[in-house]
Amino acid sequence: MQTMDKKRLGLYLHIPFCRSKCAYCDFFSLVPSNEDLVERYINALILHMHSYRTGAKDYAPDTVFIGGGTPTSIGTDMLLKLIRAVRRNFSVIRGAEWTVEANPATVDVAMLNRLRRAGVNRLSMGLQSANNNELAALSRIHRRQDFEASFRAARRARIGNINVDLMFGIPYQTRQSFLKTLRYVVHLGPEHVSLYDLMLEPGTQLYAQRQTLPFPSEDEEVDMYLTAVDFLAQHGYAQYEISNFARPGYMCRHNLKYWNCEEYLGLGVAAHSFFMGNRFSFIRNLDRYMNGLEIPSSAIRLTDQNDAVSPRERLGEYIMLRFRLAAGLNVREFARLFGVSFEQLYGRKMQPYIQGGYATYKNGVYALTPKGMFVSNYILSDILEFADLGQINMFDGTR
Amino acid sequence: MAGERRKHIRNFSIIAHIDHGKSTLADRILEFSNTVQQRDMEEQLLDNMDLERERGITIKARAVRISYSAPDGETYELNLIDTPGHVDFNYEVSRSLNACEGALLVVDATQGIQAQTLANAYLAVDAGLEIVPVINKIDLASADPDRVIREIEDVIGIPAEGCPRISAKTGLNIPDVMEAILRDIPAPQGDENAPLRCLIFDSVYNSYLGVVVYVRVKDGTVRAGDRIRLMSTGAEFDVVEVGYMDPFGLKPLDVLSAGDVGYITASIKTVSDTRVGDTITSAANGADTPLPGFKSVLPMVYAGIYPADGARYGETKDALEKLQLNDAALVFEPETSAALGFGFRCGFLGLLHMEIIEERLEREFNLDLITTAPSVIYEVTLHDGTVVRVDNPSNYPAPETIEFAAEPIVAANIITPTEYVGNIMDLCQDRRGTFIDMKYIDDGRAELHYKLPLNEIIYDFFDTMKSRTKGYASLDYELAGYEPSELVKLDFLLNGEIVDALTFIVHKDKAYPRARKIAEKLKDNIPRQLFEIPIQAAIGSKIIARETVKALRKDVLAKCYGGDITRKKKLLEKQKEGKKKMRQLGSVQVSPEAFMAVLRLDDES
Repeated sequence: MQTMDKKRLGLYLHIPFCRSKCAYCDFFSLVPSNEDLVERYINALILHMHSYRTGAKDYAPDTVFIGGGTPTSIGTDMLLKLIRAVRRNFSVIRGAEWTVEANPATVDVAMLNRLRRAGVNRLSMGLQSANNNELAALSRIHRRQDFEASFRAARRARIGNINVDLMFGIPYQTRQSFLKTLRYVVHLGPEHVSLYDLMLEPGTQLYAQRQTLPFPSEDEEVDMYLTAVDFLAQHGYAQYEISNFARPGYMCRHNLKYWNCEEYLGLGVAAHSFFMGNRFSFIRNLDRYMNGLEIPSSAIRLTDQNDAVSPRERLGEYIMLRFRLAAGLNVREFARLFGVSFEQLYGRKMQPYIQGGYATYKNGVYALTPKGMFVSNYILSDILEFADLGQINMFDGTR
Repeated sequence: MAGERRKHIRNFSIIAHIDHGKSTLADRILEFSNTVQQRDMEEQLLDNMDLERERGITIKARAVRISYSAPDGETYELNLIDTPGHVDFNYEVSRSLNACEGALLVVDATQGIQAQTLANAYLAVDAGLEIVPVINKIDLASADPDRVIREIEDVIGIPAEGCPRISAKTGLNIPDVMEAILRDIPAPQGDENAPLRCLIFDSVYNSYLGVVVYVRVKDGTVRAGDRIRLMSTGAEFDVVEVGYMDPFGLKPLDVLSAGDVGYITASIKTVSDTRVGDTITSAANGADTPLPGFKSVLPMVYAGIYPADGARYGETKDALEKLQLNDAALVFEPETSAALGFGFRCGFLGLLHMEIIEERLEREFNLDLITTAPSVIYEVTLHDGTVVRVDNPSNYPAPETIEFAAEPIVAANIITPTEYVGNIMDLCQDRRGTFIDMKYIDDGRAELHYKLPLNEIIYDFFDTMKSRTKGYASLDYELAGYEPSELVKLDFLLNGEIVDALTFIVHKDKAYPRARKIAEKLKDNIPRQLFEIPIQAAIGSKIIARETVKALRKDVLAKCYGGDITRKKKLLEKQKEGKKKMRQLGSVQVSPEAFMAVLRLDDES
């Protein structure tokens, strides 16, 4: 089969290692005890890719995303080894989007040059804040100066598509300090900005400090969010998803697959997939993960959960995910996918939100406004039905 | 012949304060007389309902016949009539006592006389019973039987020297109790040739037999095939079966005669035909006068009961009807609330009765219920002279139409360690009580008499009293008529709309603090919504308290890391589940839990 005839796929590879654990992080990541562990993991991950060679032979990835953790913390050689294995095992299309996540102070021009030559054309960098006190509160290893050096290194290595991750809701953060961070970022001029609300997850260091540190109030957070949406738009970064902003033509194609209900295969410890109609994830235990791949006869179950998605769930997911996007939900596409009318099912429920300025309806498209996005859980849990749709005839929602 | 047999009958009850060991003593008597073998013993055999066993209270009276071979070589027939031990069921207690000639008064040797000990002892004295004191729990280190005996003699005024000192738990000195029953309790009197008169002291619905009526035959005889008449209603039935009860069921007999305790079945469909205290006589040649003391028990406390899921209205109705088959004191009628939909206004004997009914509905019928705050019945006299009885606060007449209003008052009897007398006085004062008098029971304890409005007692009096006396004070009360009172109707508005289910009636001096407290509770329990929700408490059009539930502005899962959709979906599903249960109160959604939390009456108000 020619690459062009194959189905498109987002490929995600998880690198669970970091130089140090941040105070807010509840992702699956750890600080490796030695280099051997990293190499052993990369070899296991390569075995994992190999095991999908046949299963994914009808697919051609058009996005590859190496995330973490901090992928750049494992060093250039390991990353290149991984990238070569991707090319060996999958027919990645020409012009694919290749993203590597990086943290400031873990990259230099030489590394980035080699990554670019291997095909990496997008870099996602975690700045979080341009205020060093706020960075310290998050226990990030970098300071603003480190970020700036890394950013300039990426530009010198001619990486033309850079994302900068920002956060709001950080201890000590104010509207003023947040605006300063925003100004600083637009001044540097990345192609893409992600803006996350700091979540206090049980078990993290910040969660334990939630009573003692001065966190911004809910009203201040809403204010920061809405300010950022306006500010970034004024500077050429249009919001296309709850947390994502891009200059024209630079939306993250890989992440869009998540919102567009397209297929993606996530390999590595604790990675998530939506592949061939199933949502599944791999186990969150590093040792078991590596053992399971190294010794095929060990019969270790690598998947944690594996749910076939029913048409009804698919419909719920579709609404949930489309409403994350500024582009919203197109009723004609909805009807084509599911064989039922969105207006008939949900039109009445959407009315009060449209009247209240939380949603819009224009030319057959329902979308949430930024104000609505910030209370999207409330709205979705009000209108959504995941299973209980009663007796309606519908299509299965596959393309 | 029959008179000879009667000499060997003893009909008696056991009366006690809660937890003083009444049910345990009953178990030991059954065991000691070999009525049940030890291996058949379940704790508290007489209490049939699960709920009774769990709460350690006896809800419905039961009676068992015990055949006892005494050391004197004679065989006696002991009828033990168990009685409910709570103030809500005082009338049932008094009827059970009227079926007896004597009562064992069980007093805990570590605690001494408590409010219910006294209340029940006085009921027994009123019924003309021979009272046999029994000092229980003498095996405990803190037992002081001599002090308790002095208390009984001083306070109740009956001789107690030489009374049985036992441990029902360990079985110590149970023979003394048996001996005292035979020696001190008189055999029943009566004339089996006189017209039939049976006192109904309980009735239980059974789906095979219809109503099983528990009776004490005072005069005459009754047998299967006799036509009988209920004297209060005139209803007539044909007797299907008579007999006696043992711990394992009904044992048919040919005849019940004067002096006997037993049961009658007559294809009776509902217990409301066989009201406790009524007299059964023969349809032909019946007695001229009924036995004294019958009264129709009236509910004192009312509350709205609504299914949390409106679709289960029919099931709720069926369940209430089933409970009513066995509980003539439960009344209900359909009502509609703008906030809660279709439900029932239910009348109860008291708060405990209400809790028991709620629990049985939830447990035995698997219903989720929303219960409104309990209310008493107010008597409102209008300008035109009509008197309205209000059992639902939202039906309270408009103030400008009211000439005056009256509320039910109780005579309360509180026994407390003397160190807490001040606390009790403060509490009663605060609850609009009128002090009557105080007596010292002994060096350590006092008995206080107060007149108190019933609506203060059903608010949170009992719990507050317990918390202010470290649990030592005990309370007993009885209805003592109605008195004029300055009452106001307090409404609550959410987003400008009155929520009828939250309306209640309160004394005008209490309106402000109560309004503030409930408004605060509402604020804490109403989930934030996309708009600001004003909470207002109002008397008529006058707002007396106000709170605001701030608008929700942030409810988002921003990161969707590495395509982990499942986590997000689960979160939304959970949130969705919560929303499904919400009740729409006007434009505001409130969960049933929040609603109940607001009504939950706790601590100090």
